[in-house]
Amino acid sequence: MTVERTIVWVHGDDLSPNSPPLMADSGVPAVFVFDDELLREWKISLKRIVFMYECLLELPVIIRRGEVAAEVAAFAVGHGATRILTSRSPSPRLAAIAEQIAESSGGRLRVEVVERTPFVKTARKLDLKRFTYYWNAVKNDVLGSQGE
Amino acid sequence: MKREFADRDELIAYLREEFPEAAAVDDHVSGTRGGRKAAEEQLAKLGKGKDYEASRNYVHGPVSRLSAYIRHGVLSLAEVRDYAVAKERLPEDAEKFVNELAWRDYWQRIYDDIGDGIWDDREPYKTGWHTERYADEMPQDIVEADTGLPCIDAFARTLVETGYLHNHVRMWFAAYVVHWRRVKWQAGARWFLSHLIDGDPASNNLSWQWVASTFSAKPYVFNRENLEKFTEGEYCKECPLYGNCDFEGSYERHQRRLFPDADPAVFGDGRRGPGRGRGRGRR
Ligand SMILES: Cc1cc2nc3c(=O)[nH]c(=O)nc-3n(C[C@H](O)[C@H](O)[C@H](O)COP(=O)(O)OP(=O)(O)OC[C@H]3O[C@@H](n4cnc5c(N)ncnc54)[C@H](O)[C@@H]3O)c2cc1C
Repeated sequence: MTVERTIVWVHGDDLSPNSPPLMADSGVPAVFVFDDELLREWKISLKRIVFMYECLLELPVIIRRGEVAAEVAAFAVGHGATRILTSRSPSPRLAAIAEQIAESSGGRLRVEVVERTPFVKTARKLDLKRFTYYWNAVKNDVLGSQGE
Repeated sequence: MKREFADRDELIAYLREEFPEAAAVDDHVSGTRGGRKAAEEQLAKLGKGKDYEASRNYVHGPVSRLSAYIRHGVLSLAEVRDYAVAKERLPEDAEKFVNELAWRDYWQRIYDDIGDGIWDDREPYKTGWHTERYADEMPQDIVEADTGLPCIDAFARTLVETGYLHNHVRMWFAAYVVHWRRVKWQAGARWFLSHLIDGDPASNNLSWQWVASTFSAKPYVFNRENLEKFTEGEYCKECPLYGNCDFEGSYERHQRRLFPDADPAVFGDGRRGPGRGRGRGRR
């Protein structure tokens, strides 16, 4: 039986050492890639990069820069991995990168998204038209769920 | 990339060299240090919920300064909430703070639903001005902190130099850009994202939209009295424009002057502004 090899792809929405993908499989090689195109497009200034870099120095990750999909795929291939764990994020750009990784490898690389601890645990669909609707719906759960 | 550095200066010098384009945008470094250790130290400084509730709208008030850590997932909203609630005798005492954390969760959920749609007006402006009447780009005098308004120029400098602004300052600044200068909120939002350490497309864009009125029932405006009070006179005390500045006068005056063609129903009776109602500074 062959064991499927895994890597972790760390991104800027989850730079915690307790990030679920890093905890899920300890000791697995992990990579973070500064997205050159995003930095350019959003004109990100140096102070944000310094802040993020300081976060990264506390994580067991290899830090790279360039085109994210290509770098993550190359990192996975370099470690003989086919499974890529990453944290859940609402960012459409991160979703697009994940798709690109799978597509460009002809489906050999698989990105698995790991959920993070939610602020609100609810199965209900929340009305997001205005904050008050949302707040009234979640308030009791949010204040009462201490210590979980 | 490199992982071993003798000290912070060496790290910064390395990053300046590696990311010359980012350094060309702006080369300052924030006093807020990255990392879980720094985040936990900051969290340990969290004050009492009731003090937060009473004074969070003051620019020197007891806000947590956790946003950069939360935005980058170094601290989760859930753990910050748990910590804040555990500190109190009654969970309700942490309610205002937890309510602010909830704003982030709320914006993230909308982002999850609409993705890059956060760059589009969610609703029409309620200002009486059509979108085309707003400028596409940030005026140079604002980004260069050269408007001649000491408060606004100080806010612009603080953003660029530190990567952080207090929530109330973000609201004033956004209102100045969108309503006093009639610039599209997207232009201001892009400039904020380039400099904020906590820059987050959801919290940032949707907050700009809230100020602009493309995601709220009415435009947010303020006046000198409000700014003077919550800055404790920091800018107004020695301001050469005092009594004569762009923000002088009542909310009603600003609303009439800035939004002459707005539907009067937007402002309700007597054109009461958001600063007068129960919702004052609630964001
Ligand atoms: C025009 C404008 C742009 C903004 N852009 C951003 C942004 O890019 N990133 C960002 O994180 N926040 C943004 N905010 C929200 C808010 O100003 C900051 O989160 C807050 O000032 C950060 O300081 P703090 O950590 O001391 O906040 P506290 O008052 O101590 O609040 C605790 C935490 O709650 C969350 N929070 C508080 N208020 C809000 C709010 N109104 N919306 C969303 N989350 C909130 C933040 O995570 C914050 O760290 C913006 C607000 C405005 C008006």
